[in-house]
Amino acid sequence: MASLTGSQPSLGEQLRRRKPIVFQHHHHTGEELARELSTFELMMFGVGATIGTGIFFVLGEAVPKAGPAVLVSFLIAGIAAGLSALCYAELASAIPVSGSTYSYAYHAMGELVAVVIAGCVLLEYGVATGAVAVGWSGYFNELLSELFGWQLPEALSVSPIPGTDGEPTGGLINLPAVVLVLLCMLLLIRGASESAKVNAIMVVIKLVVLTIFAVLGFSAFNADHFSNFFGEGFTGVSAAAGTIFFSFIGLDAVATAGEEVKNPQKAVPRAIIGALTIVSGMYLAVAAAGLAAKPVSFFEDSDNAEAGLALILKDITGNEIWSTILAAGAVISIFSVTLVTLYGQTRILFAIGRDGMIPRKFLEVNPKTMTPVFNTVVVSIVVALIGGFVPSDYLWDTVSIGTLMAFSVVAIGIMILRRTHPDLERPFKIPGYPVTPILTVAVCLYIMWGLAAITWIIFLSWIALVLLVYFLYGRHHATLNTYRDPEEIAEPRGRRGDVEEDVDL
Amino acid sequence: MTYVVGYSPHKDDTCALELACELARSEADAVHALTVVPQGWEATTASQHDKDFVHWARTEGEASAAEAFAALERHPDVAGSASWVTARSVPAALVDQARKLEASILVVGSGLHGPVGRVTVTSKTDRLLHSSEIPVAIAPREYRPSRESRITRVTLAFRDDDATWRLLDRVADICRRTNARIRLVTVTIKHRAMLQAGVSGAEDLVFEELSRAARAGQREAVDHLVENGFAGSELETVVAKGRSWADALDGVHWTSGDLLVVGSSSTHPLATVFLGSSAAKIVRAAVVPVIVVP
Repeated sequence: MASLTGSQPSLGEQLRRRKPIVFQHHHHTGEELARELSTFELMMFGVGATIGTGIFFVLGEAVPKAGPAVLVSFLIAGIAAGLSALCYAELASAIPVSGSTYSYAYHAMGELVAVVIAGCVLLEYGVATGAVAVGWSGYFNELLSELFGWQLPEALSVSPIPGTDGEPTGGLINLPAVVLVLLCMLLLIRGASESAKVNAIMVVIKLVVLTIFAVLGFSAFNADHFSNFFGEGFTGVSAAAGTIFFSFIGLDAVATAGEEVKNPQKAVPRAIIGALTIVSGMYLAVAAAGLAAKPVSFFEDSDNAEAGLALILKDITGNEIWSTILAAGAVISIFSVTLVTLYGQTRILFAIGRDGMIPRKFLEVNPKTMTPVFNTVVVSIVVALIGGFVPSDYLWDTVSIGTLMAFSVVAIGIMILRRTHPDLERPFKIPGYPVTPILTVAVCLYIMWGLAAITWIIFLSWIALVLLVYFLYGRHHATLNTYRDPEEIAEPRGRRGDVEEDVDL
Repeated sequence: MTYVVGYSPHKDDTCALELACELARSEADAVHALTVVPQGWEATTASQHDKDFVHWARTEGEASAAEAFAALERHPDVAGSASWVTARSVPAALVDQARKLEASILVVGSGLHGPVGRVTVTSKTDRLLHSSEIPVAIAPREYRPSRESRITRVTLAFRDDDATWRLLDRVADICRRTNARIRLVTVTIKHRAMLQAGVSGAEDLVFEELSRAARAGQREAVDHLVENGFAGSELETVVAKGRSWADALDGVHWTSGDLLVVGSSSTHPLATVFLGSSAAKIVRAAVVPVIVVP
């Protein structure tokens, strides 16, 4: 561990200093310990967190890039997500702290890396929530049109910024996306939470509507649509994999929820692989069904991008019932995804705030609602602006790049920790070390390399902004600058010993 | 100043009278038991059945007042009186009479449908809480303090906001007069984390910060009380933690002579008692007498 004595460290020391891992050893008498997830439930969390909007949307983005070989892109993205989730699971089990990749990086690789990762993770969650809300808006409008024959005018349902094709959109604001985010904000302020039961219901809804799509899609099978399979070459395949990676994000939730399970060494990889199998199987079925039913040119038409799956169903069945069911399923399940991602974003910002990197205002917990109201409102407004004004084309890839970067760092982090802290207790160790983490980094870098220049520009500008904030504010206010007592920076953890005073939980 | 007790005949529970006497003993005040009986029609009917009704109501009122007075006589150290009025609405009559008698607190009992020893807010009490301008004390069902019992400790449900800070000074006044100790209880709830968000221990973070803020608020309140002449050793603070209100309050220890004070809503613009959602939850979980202060 870096030295953390009273005197102000030099810049180099500060950038490299790591947050010490302090375990809190308090007696725990509460019932919280009784909370144990089964492997199956853990897997359902993975499936629930992963099958989000991505698949309802991503074909319109990915098929034009890779052609029919988009199926290969799905496999590559799935493998990258699976490997990353395994690495993530080891890091999460070795460093039992609250937070996300950011917190693990702070403990394993120092302040500078942590700040960069904070940027990646904020980008991942913030933009993902915006993108999910945009996706919801498309299906919401489709549902309106199918149920009532009326939908919101373009001016109120599309962002004013032209997409990657450069054509003017005719929109002013994506109102449904904004309203959705603000609704989720109100729920979060009230302390609403999606339970395991609701999660399971959402998983079922998603799987059912996607199965309907796959079955009906195959009924219109046309082998010609698969001709010229690798027509776009491997550049196209990797570019599409980058876009598709977005729809696999969430598998890492298995890693962070892994501490709630009885035997992590067995349960975590089973849950990750199980969830990955279900998710990839579903995605491949949906992609193959989409390609079987429609030629590549269909996906290239930007008019078909929004609510794409519902449109395909309408076309092939000539009946509005199936597309209405699909749109309704999407509207319900994507709502829950927005809620969960927005929640994740607020809590990550909270973790960053605890380390003093952003103003303390973000840590204020309202005594009435007992939720971080200021934090939630600020995050929601930013996300609502993203959802309301930025077209989804830019959003998916930006989310992917942030996540891929974070996952590469995680994989590097476990290699560093294995060297620096070989004795650390690791309830879960990845199989095939050191091949697995190296392979993870390689696959992540390969996919990132395929992403468009504009994505890299957005990403690097954002990271530069985050670093600027760090050097102007965070560096001077970091909690590690002033702490004396290890308890002060100890992370509260439900499992390893809850903070106990006054009255027991 | 007087404690006005809403006394209802046939209820077979004198918990409200017992609580009023305990309060009065602590502050050397008087207790007035008030029975409200239904009002007859103003116009007479041909058959004069309404006169029979008025007569019945008067008999009921007199019997009830006598019953209440007899119950009060069992507390010779408290100056007790009893009366009855007719009215269409019991809560409205209580508020009205309390104003006339310049009462300091309205005391009522719990409903008979709730468990023994718990506070249950009846529909009448609920209405009273919405319209009373003075504090309303609610006794747990079948509350029976000993004959000499006094209030020895006042627990304030303390939330670090303007409304409870105003309440703090009022509670301090009461405690100074009655020589009771003060205890501050802050309830903190740990919400359920959404595990699928991919943030480990997400609610641990928020809960830790909430508890820290609760302790800081209590420290500030204790400093304030010490400045106002209370001995630090007489002040207790508790941060009650749990996954639900009932869970958190279960861990708070209560003894005889305890009294719980809660503020009403901090958001309601009117200066009347209007139970906020948090206050309602605390009242529902209470096992000792509660005073709801507007």
